Amino acid sequence: MSKWYPKNGKVIFHVDMNSFYASVEAAHNPALKGKPLAIAGNPEERRGIVVTSSYEARAKGVKTTMPLWEAKRLCPELIVMRPNFERYRNASSEMFKMLAEITPYVQPVSIDEGYMDISSCESLGSPLEIAKTIQSRIATELGIPCSIGIAPNKFLAKMASDMKKPMGITVLRLRDLSDKLWPLPVEEMYGIGSKTAEKLYKLDIKTIKDLVEADVYVLKRVLGINGERLQNRAKGIDPSIVDPDAIYDFKSIGNSETLPEDTVNDQEISQLLRKLARKVSARLKRKKVVGQHIQLTIRFHDRKTITRSKKLVELIEEETTIFKYALSLLDEHWNGKPIRLLGITVQDLHDKQEIVQQLDLFTYEKEASKEKLYQAMEKLTEKYGTDTFTKMNNSEDKTQPSTSFQKDYLDDYKK
Amino acid sequence: MRFIIQRDQLIDSIQHVMKAISSRVTIPILTGIKIEASAEGIKLTGSDSDISIESFIPKEEDGIINAEEITEGSIVVQAKYFPDIIRKLPLKAVEIVADENYQVTIKSGGAEFHLNGQDATEYPQLPVLHTDNSFTLKNEVLKDLIKQTVFAVSTVETRPILTGVNMKLEEGFLNFVATDSHRLASRKLPVDLETEQIDFKNVVIPGKSLSELNKIIEDNEDTITISVTENQILFQTKHLYFLSRLLDGNYPETSRLIPDQSKTVIYAKTKELLQAIDRASLLAKENRNNVVKLQTKENDQLEITSNTPEVGEVVEDLSTDSIDGEELKISFSAKYVIDALKIIEEEKVKIEFTGAMRPFIIRPMDNEHILQLILPVRTY
Amino acid sequence: MNNWKELATIQPVATKMIVNMIERNRISHAYLFHGQKGTGKNQIATMLTKSIFCLNRIDGEPCHTCRNCIRITSGNHPDVHKIVPEGASIKKDQILHLQKEFSYTGLESNRKVYIIQDADKMTVNAANKLLKFLEEPSQQTTAILLTDNVNGIIQTIRSRCQIIALQPLNENKMQTVLQESGITASNARLFSAITNNVEDAKMFDQDEWFAQARNLVVQLIEMLQHKKDEVLLFIQKQWMPHFSERSQLQLGLDLLILWYKDVMYQLIGKEEYIIFHAYLDKIEESALYWSREDTTQILYAMMEAKKRINQNVHPTLLMEQLTLRMQR
Repeated sequence: MSKWYPKNGKVIFHVDMNSFYASVEAAHNPALKGKPLAIAGNPEERRGIVVTSSYEARAKGVKTTMPLWEAKRLCPELIVMRPNFERYRNASSEMFKMLAEITPYVQPVSIDEGYMDISSCESLGSPLEIAKTIQSRIATELGIPCSIGIAPNKFLAKMASDMKKPMGITVLRLRDLSDKLWPLPVEEMYGIGSKTAEKLYKLDIKTIKDLVEADVYVLKRVLGINGERLQNRAKGIDPSIVDPDAIYDFKSIGNSETLPEDTVNDQEISQLLRKLARKVSARLKRKKVVGQHIQLTIRFHDRKTITRSKKLVELIEEETTIFKYALSLLDEHWNGKPIRLLGITVQDLHDKQEIVQQLDLFTYEKEASKEKLYQAMEKLTEKYGTDTFTKMNNSEDKTQPSTSFQKDYLDDYKK
Repeated sequence: MRFIIQRDQLIDSIQHVMKAISSRVTIPILTGIKIEASAEGIKLTGSDSDISIESFIPKEEDGIINAEEITEGSIVVQAKYFPDIIRKLPLKAVEIVADENYQVTIKSGGAEFHLNGQDATEYPQLPVLHTDNSFTLKNEVLKDLIKQTVFAVSTVETRPILTGVNMKLEEGFLNFVATDSHRLASRKLPVDLETEQIDFKNVVIPGKSLSELNKIIEDNEDTITISVTENQILFQTKHLYFLSRLLDGNYPETSRLIPDQSKTVIYAKTKELLQAIDRASLLAKENRNNVVKLQTKENDQLEITSNTPEVGEVVEDLSTDSIDGEELKISFSAKYVIDALKIIEEEKVKIEFTGAMRPFIIRPMDNEHILQLILPVRTY
Repeated sequence: MNNWKELATIQPVATKMIVNMIERNRISHAYLFHGQKGTGKNQIATMLTKSIFCLNRIDGEPCHTCRNCIRITSGNHPDVHKIVPEGASIKKDQILHLQKEFSYTGLESNRKVYIIQDADKMTVNAANKLLKFLEEPSQQTTAILLTDNVNGIIQTIRSRCQIIALQPLNENKMQTVLQESGITASNARLFSAITNNVEDAKMFDQDEWFAQARNLVVQLIEMLQHKKDEVLLFIQKQWMPHFSERSQLQLGLDLLILWYKDVMYQLIGKEEYIIFHAYLDKIEESALYWSREDTTQILYAMMEAKKRINQNVHPTLLMEQLTLRMQR
């Protein structure tokens, strides 16, 4: 089975709900099934705009952002409804919960689409089998159709999910690119809007293939650094990771957990703190950031909640240091009352690339032994740019990035 | 105990010992000054337990009588009141008497104070100088040794032993070493010892004690005698004894961590280099270690740069006397290099590098006895 | 109790062990003395410290008159450090001080002793710092930890200490001591049943509050037997105002438990164990009212109530529930 899971590569899904709002409404009221349906901001007003529509409506030419009067003209039997966001949020939350049961590496992009990194899900079956399971669960339990793209990176997965709708599953491998991706007109590429497309057309770049073959310096001149990124993507290169934290404020990473019961027991409390520190540390490392501010949240048995934080002189990422500071905050601020929940958040994050490390007299030998390697890397970086090595040092641990996604994000959705 | 003493002498002595007294001590008796009267004179002691200062007033010195009518004995008086009382007495001479109930009477002219004292046996017993186990230095030399090393001690408690200066006496050299593990300062001094017996390695004096000592000893040609006991070090000038507890534990062996060969050697003017790095550090953000970059260029030129994206960037080219060896590009904390260059009085310095990730050494040209070692920073 | 011989009368086992170690010069780097309040932890710690520093020690007994002994008593010995919690926990500054002292040599010699009272009140952070020292003690340093709650000391520290358990004070011994100090036999019996501490007992004897507490217990028992309807009112109007602190309520429950134990002794014919001797007629009356079964149930209910006091249960509610369960 491991042929599906390359050793040094990834398997990424892009899961896209098909005409999400309309599908949710149809699932809610089966009478709407198979009928042309549009969701519009203000159905009473002729000037309202179509937010989304069912495939039946689209077949008649109804498009998103079209004024209602025009839609009605194209499709006189069109059923128009107000959006029911509560309903959509619930459906979305259910859907992401299902995805999170497969892997913790789920990155919601919007209410109706998200990425999954299933590289370490070999035990659950082949990617195709997993995709089919997801698709049929969402269809049977939520009554919503979805399309899934399967590819070695996020960009290709996104392109793949667009290739067959609704209820499609499309595998896009690197070797398929010349047949499936490159013949497409360049404006179909994710990340290329009408303005960029216009600029590319002027350079006589009309298909994705043209983009692959274009001179990178010309692209850079016209589109800046983005030009090179777009070309890399067209070539099938996209180093960005599936980041469950992406929807959060970038400036902090935190975890919290409720104790099995309210307690004043030092050992239970420090055990939980250590666990939280471990989770936060794993997430910091995954994102290659370090923090300079730590915050401790304590919720007491009476639900009274306090947060206490501290600016640090050092940059932290290791479990032991996070634990140490969290513990000293607890020490300073805990009044001894029974605790229900604890949380640790590391804030004031910096990219590791931005920072420097003061070497230590007693340990420098260890770092210095890697000097040659660093020098070589630096030379290559100067030559080829900063992304050259990001893929190589993805010796990223497979630890679970905690419940942040399952809990916090979905809690947000439930609100 | 009873004696009559010249007030000015007593005030001087009090001022000395008060430097060791702190109101924040856990041992109650240390809030007092111990007074000891003996046939030779009067001794005052103050201590915060870390450091202790004894000041001796000889009964008679150079034909001048300082104290008279001495009945031997000792007492501890409250440091909160005693100094002010003495300072404000009306006459030049003061009579001090302590009775068997530890009641102290202070008389000068018509003024008479009664002060509750405490039993002197409650006071810590401090070690005394062992002449067979001591050596002597000039005041100014000791002050130099301290100034050139103590700034490099660690100020964090994670490795307490590094908060001290390691004093070694071996093979005819006295050596002070201090390191906070990011930089190391070492100063050697050839010593001519009459007694060959003295030899010690693991004496670690708290940096705070040495800074305090440096403030107290005067910068002159007088001499100071140093002796070490199991748990204290004693510095003795003519009438002043300064004692400090030591740091407990083994000082790490640092000599093997100092590179003995180099790949790039730069000779430069101390002041110019110091000023250039100081300028570059203006734009180096403080909380990111103050990082400055140094790069060798053609024609014995050095490029010193620093930048903080939010603030700006500085580039300065500096002519050196010579640059030999491999090309070099290295980043370091400006503070450490500035600290190191500041204590070098010689006009020119020699800097030896062995690679961007290895410690480099700054020394005055033609003086092997001062060594400043600095660990660079790694940039990602 | 100024010598080991006297201490041996209340703590024979511990004293023998310690004196043995002193005489054979086998002082450990760390001791943990644990035992209830009043079992002599502080006295033993001070005696041990004196034995270590005394200049004229004979057969393990310190002289109490040399400058070291004198200064240990007065708190002026510079190489003896005592940490006493300020309030609910041992404060950060105290631990910083301790940590600094660990890293320095002694002032007079390298012989150093640290005494940490109520060591269970160390925070985890403080305990970890102490642990660091216990892991690599310097040659001539001894740490003495005292606690009445040995489970409050983290395992990693316990495993590095020589643990010496102090026995609860023998009740008979205590009763004799109290009677010798002029307390009536029946009171002495009651006090030694509720505390191990002679000083506490003497205080009870003088204490108006305690006398009233005892009266309320007797009243409550009477009401439970004769005026059931008024019990709840009594709890609200009289009992709770008197036992308003949790610690006071604990004592109130202790007294009630003793009462029902007496009732049980009466029921099973072991009158000689009865503590409330002065109220023998009322105990007999209670024993006629409640059966053995009832008494056992009531005792269980009260034990449980004692536990719950510490868990933020509303005290009045707790008492009301308890008295309902006590009614036949």
